[in-house]
Amino acid sequence: MSSEWEEAIERSTRNNVPEVWRMLEEHPYLESTRVELRKAKLRVLDNLDEFIGKTMEAVTKSGGVAHLARDAAEARDIVDRIIGGREHIILSKSNVAYEAGIRQHLRDRGKDVWETDFGEYLLQIAEEEPSHIITVALHMTKEKFGRELHRNLDESINEDSTPAEMAAAVRRFLLGKYDTAEVGITGANAVAADTGSVALVENEGNIRMTSVRPQIHIAVTGIDKIVPTLGDAFKEVMIQAAYAGSYPPTYINVTTGPSSTGDIESQIIRPATGPREFHLVLIDNGRMKAAADRELREALLCIRCGRCYFACPTYRVMGKEWGKPPYSGPTGVMWNAIVRGDSSAAHMCTHSAGCREVCPMDINIPRVLEYIKYTDFKKMEEGGKK
Amino acid sequence: MADNASVTSALLKRTVYRNLMKDYLPFPIDRKLCARWAGGIPEGGSSIIYTSMMYQMAPMFKAYESLLPRAARLRGSERLASLGKFLFKPKRAELERAYAILRNIASMLSKSDVDFGYLHEKEPYSGAILIELGMRDEFIEYGKKLTSFFTGLGVERVITVDPHTTNALARMKEYVPSRLEVVNYLSLIDGARGEGKFVLHDSCLYARHLGLRDSIRQSIGRTGISLAEDRMVTGKGTAMCCGSPVGAVSPDLGEKIAEVRARALLSVGGSVMVMCPMCYQALSPHIKGLKDFAEVVR
Repeated sequence: MSSEWEEAIERSTRNNVPEVWRMLEEHPYLESTRVELRKAKLRVLDNLDEFIGKTMEAVTKSGGVAHLARDAAEARDIVDRIIGGREHIILSKSNVAYEAGIRQHLRDRGKDVWETDFGEYLLQIAEEEPSHIITVALHMTKEKFGRELHRNLDESINEDSTPAEMAAAVRRFLLGKYDTAEVGITGANAVAADTGSVALVENEGNIRMTSVRPQIHIAVTGIDKIVPTLGDAFKEVMIQAAYAGSYPPTYINVTTGPSSTGDIESQIIRPATGPREFHLVLIDNGRMKAAADRELREALLCIRCGRCYFACPTYRVMGKEWGKPPYSGPTGVMWNAIVRGDSSAAHMCTHSAGCREVCPMDINIPRVLEYIKYTDFKKMEEGGKK
Repeated sequence: MADNASVTSALLKRTVYRNLMKDYLPFPIDRKLCARWAGGIPEGGSSIIYTSMMYQMAPMFKAYESLLPRAARLRGSERLASLGKFLFKPKRAELERAYAILRNIASMLSKSDVDFGYLHEKEPYSGAILIELGMRDEFIEYGKKLTSFFTGLGVERVITVDPHTTNALARMKEYVPSRLEVVNYLSLIDGARGEGKFVLHDSCLYARHLGLRDSIRQSIGRTGISLAEDRMVTGKGTAMCCGSPVGAVSPDLGEKIAEVRARALLSVGGSVMVMCPMCYQALSPHIKGLKDFAEVVR
């Protein structure tokens, strides 16, 4: 355990945990909202095939293009085909895009690719991996931010600079990138099956810029993000923001197909000012199989607020080394088992169950991890590998 | 680290399960030593105090933890684990402490007019380690054997004294339905008295898995002991583990978690109390004067 990690996790915990308590106390309606959301998400998991079909149909109806990728490689191929010869690409932070290796793949193909989330941008220039599912650069102290910016962006910034000076330097750089970007790739906090809308929640404004400035918007996400209705999608972004510690969020973005106008004789014309193409890339990558497993499917209810990380003793000590980025921490260990078939990290769970207490979706994470350990033993026996 | 954990877990699975199915013990354990505290308690009966040898052998479990990863690295060296009987024996002072705790629990139960016997040298281990490490099939098989064992002896109620055993028997009922009543001693002791102010390190199993966090605080409050609380350290969703449960698969990780937890507890107050022998083992090297609840009430 490095002292920098200790310092970083201590500071973040002290900041985040009381902030979430305060938000939940100030907005008591969030309690019933999260219960309704869990029910809505379970309804999708009970009929996943049907909801994928409805979602894709709705996206098409709204003028967008829906794609379904079986795995990460197929997702990269789809993104490649959409981008074609375009060179300048911006991404907003997306765990699923990271899971599919999209940024690295595009860079390997010689594209000009930039992350626009402050934390993710820092990781990109520092060539480091995310340490938390939301606060991706949680392992970096302010001083480390300063050193990386000094080395990679602006020599006038150093470890003694204020956070505001650091943010201003990154902002100047990113504003230039928004101007030239041809393609914007985002994730999705929720996808509404009834309208084909993608809902995204954020504070920085980078998701809004990424999804509106370039003429092509690609939303890459897992099939677990589908919810029955647009109303449920709003519930998901509200709960995600609150339990992540940012409520009310600065921005909630909803995208339903390409940009449009109804100003000429009330006819819907596409595109208008924003993107002329909208693509939704839904990724399976083990999720369908998990949904069919009565015990593992609980993990698919995760809305990735990252609150469980702050309640976990193993993560407190190991950080991103517990699991494989972007999926570390209690929920990340479940996700590694689902999308990578890697169950080994589950054996490090202490079953302290703090994660279960703080989970807005009431996922019994220690019980799921116990089940993953159990299935790992069975695999070992079947494979005779130990 | 995670791969090593898998290998260690696999080794544990083979050795512990084999030992349990053979003679109800996870490792070679001196049963006489475990039963020595209980002179005067009647043998058997329909209601028994059930220690599962946790207090008596907690120091030895920790010693095994340090052995297992080495054994896992050597692969196939299962004999190492079976040598425990000769390599590890709790120190006299540790045993005397465990005996005193158990005698006090028995005494508090008697004062509360609870009738109970004890299985003495026949007492089996609960199988807690199996379910905690994810060995569900083995836990179920052992659960069938253990349930039959209790039923065969005419046991209708077991009074547990530690969280691991209480949790294991609760879980066992999910898979092996039985009429065996499981009750924890904390809910039976009336009129126990203590004094002082302590920081309580909650057992994860009592507080969160078994949902006893509030009732335990009420029980403690009735004894006259007060608790120092800090929501960031002793809250339901913030109180972290002592590190012990992961010690069997990764002693280094367990140790680091214990250090972090001890620091947090000491930031709330200097007198710290636990309710679990495994928590005591994990935290006592880092917290001077650490006490078990059954050491501070009478």
